[in-house]
Amino acid sequence: MGDAASSVERRDRRPASGEGELIVDRTLSVASYRVRDLVAGDATRWEDGALHVDLAGVERAADELPGLRSMTAAIVQPGESTRIASVLDVVEPTVKPANPRTTFSGHLGTLGVAGVGVSNRLDGMAVVSTIGPAEQLDRVEGLIDMGGPGAPLSYWSRTCNLVLSFDADPAATLAEVDRSIRIATLTVARDLAATTVDHAPDESESLELGPADGGDLPSLCVVMQVASEGPGVDTLIYGAPVIGIMPVVMDAREILDGAIVSGAYDHASVRNPTYFYQRSRLLRELIAGHGSRWWLKGVVVTLGYLNGGFEKQRAAVLAAKLAAQLGAQGAVLTTFSSGNSHTDTMLTCRACEELGVRTAVLIVESNGGLTDFVPEADCIVSVGNEDELIEGWHPDRTVGGRDPRVAPADDDAPVPLRDYLGANCQLGDMPIGVEES
Amino acid sequence: MVGANRVLRGVSITHPTGDPALSVGDELELRRRMVDRALNMLSTPVESRTVWEAEG
Amino acid sequence: MTVVHYINQFFAGMGGEEKADTPPFRLDGATGPGRGLGLEVATTIGCGDDYFAEHEDEALSALLAWLEEARPSVLVCGPAFGSGRYGYACGVVAREAAHRGIPAVTAMHQDNPGVLAADGAPYVIPTGTSVTSMRETLPKMAELAGKLSRAEAVGGPDEEGYLPRHVRRNTIRDEPGASRAIDLLLRKLAGDVRTEAKPPGDFVAPPPPIADPAAATIALVTEAGCVPQGNPDHLPSRRSFTWLRYSLDGVTSLSADRYETVHGGFDTAAANQDPNRLVPLDAARELERDGRIGRLHDFFYTTSGVNTPVAVAAKMGQEIAEELVSSGVQAVILTGT
Repeated sequence: MGDAASSVERRDRRPASGEGELIVDRTLSVASYRVRDLVAGDATRWEDGALHVDLAGVERAADELPGLRSMTAAIVQPGESTRIASVLDVVEPTVKPANPRTTFSGHLGTLGVAGVGVSNRLDGMAVVSTIGPAEQLDRVEGLIDMGGPGAPLSYWSRTCNLVLSFDADPAATLAEVDRSIRIATLTVARDLAATTVDHAPDESESLELGPADGGDLPSLCVVMQVASEGPGVDTLIYGAPVIGIMPVVMDAREILDGAIVSGAYDHASVRNPTYFYQRSRLLRELIAGHGSRWWLKGVVVTLGYLNGGFEKQRAAVLAAKLAAQLGAQGAVLTTFSSGNSHTDTMLTCRACEELGVRTAVLIVESNGGLTDFVPEADCIVSVGNEDELIEGWHPDRTVGGRDPRVAPADDDAPVPLRDYLGANCQLGDMPIGVEES
Repeated sequence: MVGANRVLRGVSITHPTGDPALSVGDELELRRRMVDRALNMLSTPVESRTVWEAEG
Repeated sequence: MTVVHYINQFFAGMGGEEKADTPPFRLDGATGPGRGLGLEVATTIGCGDDYFAEHEDEALSALLAWLEEARPSVLVCGPAFGSGRYGYACGVVAREAAHRGIPAVTAMHQDNPGVLAADGAPYVIPTGTSVTSMRETLPKMAELAGKLSRAEAVGGPDEEGYLPRHVRRNTIRDEPGASRAIDLLLRKLAGDVRTEAKPPGDFVAPPPPIADPAAATIALVTEAGCVPQGNPDHLPSRRSFTWLRYSLDGVTSLSADRYETVHGGFDTAAANQDPNRLVPLDAARELERDGRIGRLHDFFYTTSGVNTPVAVAAKMGQEIAEELVSSGVQAVILTGT
């Protein structure tokens, strides 16, 4: 019997970069390339602030994917009299140059830890996925207005947009259609950003979160609510839907770096499009103030729309427990969509306060005000009233799926704010509030 | 729950007065207990919004 | 100044309940209470209260088309006092006019579901519950209507005598919600607690308890969309503006082969296996048989409570309650999802 240790073959394993990378440097470096112009061209390339896109080439991204009959690509610029309709998701083009297959980790071929290493992004540009009439999905309102009264309420009225219009195969399942649209959209977003590799960025930032303690600074965390109820109403983390998960702690930079992707297509104004995870103002600000104004202890991700009183209460207690275990004195709570998730938010607020974690809650109102309430929710940020009607508009052009079950995109009737994608997103990226009159 | 004064916590959104995990007999028994508790609530004075649990 | 006045079948002199199914009508000049406004009413439009409740889209379509033709400087609706259906119609018509740029005034009791239906868009003057307050109400409506039609500034609720509108209007702020949340959280940690939203104040004082369930008639009501198999009366799955009533005579259990749910807001598989999981009839019958409940009411009441406007829910609740009270029911077990 020899020495067990010596009989073990020791290997110094240096994994290929990006795959199981040893995390010695927990910094996320973001290289931003500002998009001045988006033009159709013969080849997809980056040239001094202009992204040239081979639209026919882009359209081939969906060719091998099941459940789709076609995908068309169109450019929509700020200032146009254009409405983008039936929007499913909006994605900021980004790529991890060291291993592009780990971009949007879990979706495009390889799993890597998000939030570390270098990521390039096209700043001022968005890839917008839309769907034509589809048996598999309930009405998809999702509007982005580039002009007219809805423009100030549409975040992407000021970005250069590449709009992908998908046509689903009626014989396919929703899961198939949903997955294929997502893969195609994320692939296009990644490949467009990939044109920047080897070019000099306009801005380079280093997002660092050093050791979090000491001094008089308050310790803060985020409790971020997502929802996962099946295809079409899902949130995906590291490539898989998170239905049934217990609350979990993530590093804010993972979320900024494509770890969370939206798979939810209902209630346009109040859900979280992928773009708002990637560019989250909340996470960006908290990271920026870490070490100078506060300590950011982490992000607790939790589910809303849980189906029973016990499940709701359990999730609330477990999320609050994680916030407390992180050492947070205060937490910003975000909400996903409307209706019964507001009960999840309020229960989570109460559970946090009961454990001594003070809360500020981001939530949307309706014409009737708050949907649910607990006395502990004494510090609420209202991201707007989703019921308010926005004047009807006749755009010169409508791009994106035309679902006949939705009122025609160019009719005169006022549109509830709820139909404008991201207008009342409860991650807090929009400068919308409420005044009482 | 906003505004209702006497609230009995149901089992689940999808089956407020039932539980598929129980046997038929146990489920009816649960339902009897819930209705019985509801009757107690209706004959109890309350000052403001009050939530009771189905059991305990 | 062009004034249009909205009334119902009764105030138009067409008849009472028996004429409540009158479709939308239009008359030249002032009719009924319109004559007491002291304003030059160019046109009177109206609708039977039942017709409006059961065909809201069609009724609105006709009424709004007439309003569009007349393009008045102000619309006056009612007064409806405590009349729930009339008040609801007044609230809706006034709201829709206001949304289309026609200033509107209506008047009704503050608990009338029409107040919620108005959604803060028109001005609602509070009144007593009965028509006896007509004389003091008409001049108030006329004064506010005059100001609106002349595009004069309207003061606050206390000053001008209308109900607070609680309109939660969107506004573009200097900072995004995220920044405001961080700011408010830091303030709170420092002891300065502020909020941008407060809970709604629509609370109803709890009624006193029933003396003894063994001597009471109890009714079962649900928003879980429970209906007879095949949904013979077409209860909508979402955004229902109607409620239905079904006889429980001889029924001891809501069996899966005779009942189902059409609610569009939750996964109905478990409920359809056994609808008693939504409306606990089998258990209630046993307790009735055992003498714990005096009597179960002969009917159960149902609607689908998803995407329902608050005002509509309030109206349905009021209507069901009126029926229950006049049937001698003392308490309700209401199930929700």
